[in-house]
Amino acid sequence: MGLQQKIEAKEFVILAEMEPPKGADVSRMVKNAQKVKGMVDAFVVPEMSNAVMRMSSLGGAMILKSKGLETVMQLNCRDRNRLALQADLLAANGCGISNVMVVKGEDPGLGDHHQARGVYDLDLPELLAAIDGLQQGRDMAGIELNGAPEFLVGSTVEAGARDKSPELILDDINRLGQAGTRFFITPPLFDLAAIEPVWKRVNREKTTVIPTVLLLKSLGMARYIARNVNHTFIPDTLIERIQGAPDKVRECIEIASETIRTLKKEGFGGVQIATIGWEDKLPEILKRI
Amino acid sequence: MIVADKKPIEEIIEELGAHEKILILGCNECVTVCEAGGKKEVGILASALRMYFLNQERDVKIDEETLQRQCDHEYLEEIRDKVDQYDAIVSIACGVGVQFTAEKYFSTPVYPGVNTCFMGATEERGLWTERCQGCGQCILARTGGICPVSRCAKRVLNGPCGGSSDGKCEINKEVICAWQLIVERLKALDRFDDYEELSPLKDWSTDRAGGPRKVVREDVQP
Repeated sequence: MGLQQKIEAKEFVILAEMEPPKGADVSRMVKNAQKVKGMVDAFVVPEMSNAVMRMSSLGGAMILKSKGLETVMQLNCRDRNRLALQADLLAANGCGISNVMVVKGEDPGLGDHHQARGVYDLDLPELLAAIDGLQQGRDMAGIELNGAPEFLVGSTVEAGARDKSPELILDDINRLGQAGTRFFITPPLFDLAAIEPVWKRVNREKTTVIPTVLLLKSLGMARYIARNVNHTFIPDTLIERIQGAPDKVRECIEIASETIRTLKKEGFGGVQIATIGWEDKLPEILKRI
Repeated sequence: MIVADKKPIEEIIEELGAHEKILILGCNECVTVCEAGGKKEVGILASALRMYFLNQERDVKIDEETLQRQCDHEYLEEIRDKVDQYDAIVSIACGVGVQFTAEKYFSTPVYPGVNTCFMGATEERGLWTERCQGCGQCILARTGGICPVSRCAKRVLNGPCGGSSDGKCEINKEVICAWQLIVERLKALDRFDDYEELSPLKDWSTDRAGGPRKVVREDVQP
């Protein structure tokens, strides 16, 4: 069963983030993805997250697709104007990619090409409207297409972010949902309590919420996120647990698996596992869920 | 100067909705020079609105005021005593003035009465053209005093592009190719060798990339 069918059937989906390389050698990405073939429903290929230049999401998704793996292509508003966004959507669909996820994209100032100009020609609702239009056979100029694409469309929502009010998040979910978003991926979640104010009030029949499960790599990383990343809440008890573990990496893997099990039990639509560079640990995480 | 253009009166009327006590607030600086938001335009807009509301048989009070500037605290303070008499302000200053007024009088709605267009010059009365986009890193020394960022449609920094034909830009036959002007000016300055040098990669972080900008001058701060 494909990702779209699973989401429609309200089955728990497992997405794994698979960063394309910063370079032309795709062997590691392909190897890591193939290791968990059959264990994940689709690979989310980020589009230069944190504004760090690397292979495009379209390229990465096409490569994984050529290996028989289902993918979710990301599109950000930062790097392309409305012509290029529509063109890449058509290219993706023409190449058999039918899952897309739209994101705003971090400001270039945060990345490794901080002198670059951000584009932001379209905002998320506008990009979603453009996708909807393409699916109805017309581009943003109203010109008829020779063949309309079909997409399963996802986006991000800051549910569980400690610096956002639940009202604003629910409003976002409604707005983006009405604009065609079928699934929502949240920032990394380490404590159910953080997402509860939104989760309690969201229309679960209509909305597929997919929290991100981030694999912590070290005690230092956990502490850094807890102190500096506004949208992610890591409880002190979790930090103490890693601190007290004899094998910290193994403990972090167990925490990720445990979080996935909990989210499944709570009825979430699925998870997106983010391993940022440790994609080779995916089999171990998935084995324990 | 900052060049603005009048908004259609229909748009202003729509913005104003059911407000009944309105202050039209002009600015004596740039928008006066480009004849979009000075004392004269305050009077014209106020009269047009009064006529409209009269025709609608609506009793709407329209007052007029023009400040020296709307982008300085001291001048905006001049209306503090009377702001409470109004349930809306239409500022026909540039976007800076509209926002500064809105920030200062937080509970009074402030609507824009002009469209702020660009930083430009008066070529002749009734004709203003763009000269600067405030990119934050001026390269005019290298381009003979002509700005490709604001005057080239593609912001090409090593031009001209293939769309330049007979000194005109491909977007419109009436638009002079900025790079044609640059080449002519460098020749006139006997600096044509400069044209051969490739322009270094532009740092757009001083432009809008990186969010809203500010200039801090500690040497003049109180």
